[in-house]
Amino acid sequence: MSDDPIIVGSISGAFGVHGDVRLKSFCADPEALADYTPLTRSDGKTITTIVVKGQTKGALIARIDGITTKEEADALRGVDLLADRTSLPSLPDDEFYHTDLMGLLAVDTGGAELGRIKAVQSNGADDLLEIVAPGLKDSVLVPFTRAIVPTVDLAAGRVVIDPPGGLFADAD
Amino acid sequence: MARSVWKGPFVDSYVLKKAEAAKESGRNDVIKIWSRRSTILPQFVGLTFGVYNGRKHIPVSITEDMIGQKFGEYSPTRTYYGHAADKKAKRK
Repeated sequence: MSDDPIIVGSISGAFGVHGDVRLKSFCADPEALADYTPLTRSDGKTITTIVVKGQTKGALIARIDGITTKEEADALRGVDLLADRTSLPSLPDDEFYHTDLMGLLAVDTGGAELGRIKAVQSNGADDLLEIVAPGLKDSVLVPFTRAIVPTVDLAAGRVVIDPPGGLFADAD
Repeated sequence: MARSVWKGPFVDSYVLKKAEAAKESGRNDVIKIWSRRSTILPQFVGLTFGVYNGRKHIPVSITEDMIGQKFGEYSPTRTYYGHAADKKAKRK
């Protein structure tokens, strides 16, 4: 499991003339962005409080500590907001953050390397692990179920996959 | 407008044949299909289909909740890579 900071949002500019900002949240629940404070800005400064005041087209309207004018807010356009991995709440068994799964090594039940997890997608019913396998032209999607992915070992940085026949042969 | 009940659900015949063959073999192989329009039937529960999305086959494990839906509903045709942030995946 990586302790690298996670991008949880970005500032898209000023909202109004009183120093409010437009925030683009990347969180599953957009307003949860404020719960992960203190956040680090991509320019290195720290934000201790974010007060969400409302929503506008695809963005949150928020007040950030230390920003009081439209000019200051406009100067922050494009700045990313990063949260510590430790600020995310712990999850019950069988639930994992995408950020923890991405980059893990995928091995089969015999220990042979299958590839690395590039992303986590969804088909509307199950979550799917997108695995980039060496030697295959295209990535492989693996259903994230107990039967197919019996072991997720975040400490060791690997998942064990028991793929159904044809899944990995399919992508070459 | 809904499909007439007397016609029964539509399923491409090759999907039925492939599903039957997979059940008889007892192997848990991915059944590659191109028929996104076929209805998911009760006899497909427990099987894993690879449903074509125009580029590749998306694995779909069929459960009881999916009966009556179409295969295409579980095979998205567009891929969006956003920031992971605090998004969660649940192992079912």
